[in-house]
Amino acid sequence: MNIITIIWATLPFFLGFTIYLIPKLDRYLALLGTVVSFAYALILFIQRSPITLELVDNFGVTLAIDELSGYFILTNALVTAAAILYCWRSDKSAFFYTQAIIVHGSVNAAFACTDFISLYVALEVSGIAAFLLVAYPRTDRSIWVALRYLFISNTAMLFYLIGAVLVYQANNSFTYVGLRQAPPEALALIFVGLLVKGGVFVSGLWLPLTHSESDTPVSALLSGVVVKAGVYPMVRCALIVGEIDPIVRSFGVATAFLGVIFALFENDTKRVLASSTISQLGWILAAPLYGGYYALAHGLAKSALFLTAGNLPSRSLKELQNKPIRTSTWIVLVLGSLSISGLPLLTGFGAKTLTMKHLLPWQEIAMNIAVVGTATVYAKFIFLPHGEGKKPKPGFWAAIVLLLGWLFTANVLYPQAYTVKDIGKALVTIAGGWLLYWLIFKRTALKLPRVLEEFDHLIGVMSLVAVLLFWMAFSWLGISY
Amino acid sequence: MKIVSMDVMSTGVIAYYVTIASRKGLFTPIFSGVANRTYADPVPQAVILTAIVIGFSIQALMLVGVMKLAKDNPTLESNEIEKNNTPS
Repeated sequence: MNIITIIWATLPFFLGFTIYLIPKLDRYLALLGTVVSFAYALILFIQRSPITLELVDNFGVTLAIDELSGYFILTNALVTAAAILYCWRSDKSAFFYTQAIIVHGSVNAAFACTDFISLYVALEVSGIAAFLLVAYPRTDRSIWVALRYLFISNTAMLFYLIGAVLVYQANNSFTYVGLRQAPPEALALIFVGLLVKGGVFVSGLWLPLTHSESDTPVSALLSGVVVKAGVYPMVRCALIVGEIDPIVRSFGVATAFLGVIFALFENDTKRVLASSTISQLGWILAAPLYGGYYALAHGLAKSALFLTAGNLPSRSLKELQNKPIRTSTWIVLVLGSLSISGLPLLTGFGAKTLTMKHLLPWQEIAMNIAVVGTATVYAKFIFLPHGEGKKPKPGFWAAIVLLLGWLFTANVLYPQAYTVKDIGKALVTIAGGWLLYWLIFKRTALKLPRVLEEFDHLIGVMSLVAVLLFWMAFSWLGISY
Repeated sequence: MKIVSMDVMSTGVIAYYVTIASRKGLFTPIFSGVANRTYADPVPQAVILTAIVIGFSIQALMLVGVMKLAKDNPTLESNEIEKNNTPS
């Protein structure tokens, strides 16, 4: 099993270089990489025993893979495969597939490692490859958006590096466990890096612009998996070092709220989806132990939605009210939206129920409001007119069948959710959300200012979050020297 | 300008790693006949080498991006570029 793990971790990078050597085989090789990850995730589910690997003494790389990372790896494999299938008949060059599979590999690595330096390398590699993917169309706008993304993530990772060395100083090792003995500033600095990278809370406000301005398959990839590479380590840290758990949970609640508010007042389809990604990331953090299942549900639904949004006749929701969408495309849009809203029979329901059951009492009210908010946000998509419309791009259906198929299949992983009480609750909240939509949000045209999304402010907010985190770490944890 | 200042930041981080490495001693950790010297800790130095390489490559990538942008925005003021390229 250890050997399989190492092969699995290195294969995507190897494939990436091979694609460049044999450009004719690009999409087949890229797809092969995702298939291997998929098989590996299935093995993890069947085996059910965590794997831990420690290479070269306690200074070296440590890997720990269990069911939780299995969910994340499965998400990664499915979403990347869908993005590749979507591009199958487009004229994307081998370069695109190389970057896609390298993103896949580095995100996989982030899901497997448990020491800060391997994580740093994985995150930076995913950042660079994502930068190249966003800048792929070579227009001025895409280059600017990509530069902005790389600049912000790199600055955040510098903070992270300082935190990592503080952990090392306290423990003579870079493993996550060392966070317990490390001074509070180490925790604050590392978490600033991860919060920014994962697009969580106010430090994640770079996300709507980046995700909405990228190419369709790239936004699916970014929203579906790349941000989760920043979220997963936080979940893992909260599980390994129990003291951090309340910090992670409170960020989860705050993020779920913030994202919903941004999404409610948005009028552009892709920006609504991107803002909702922020809120869904909050859900993953709200109950760390069960975040994996939620990440799977969200990754599948969100990438399906992004792929659909790329095939709508217009990006503005206002215009879409008057331009009918092709009925078959509309059905996909509705299924994705319903899954995120948490309708029974779709994976989103199981994931929401599971997360809800493991919330702490103080989180419950806030999260229930967030559920209603999410339903309202997605009502915007569900109540769009449909009829004859433009045909989706070739490759769209292959990707969608894969994603939606799993959206139904993944229900098997948590059948206990189907009790009368939970189904009733889900239906009531969705109905409540739709009611809110019809009564209030369909009529309002309020627009939130985008001051916080300006480049300078993003960097400024990063340091404010650092101060906040330091205070949290200092006063809540009482970690002593 | 912003890119250069980012580079300064990363230099600062690198210097910090080196400082931490040399807290216990300054000698190069190479096996030699002399016993019991105070060696510098090799691990942070090894680790920061990776970060230097990554920082350098990011630097290069960003400068290429800026070169492309410079065609239409010769003054390279980030506020202006942002205004031109942000959808309303």
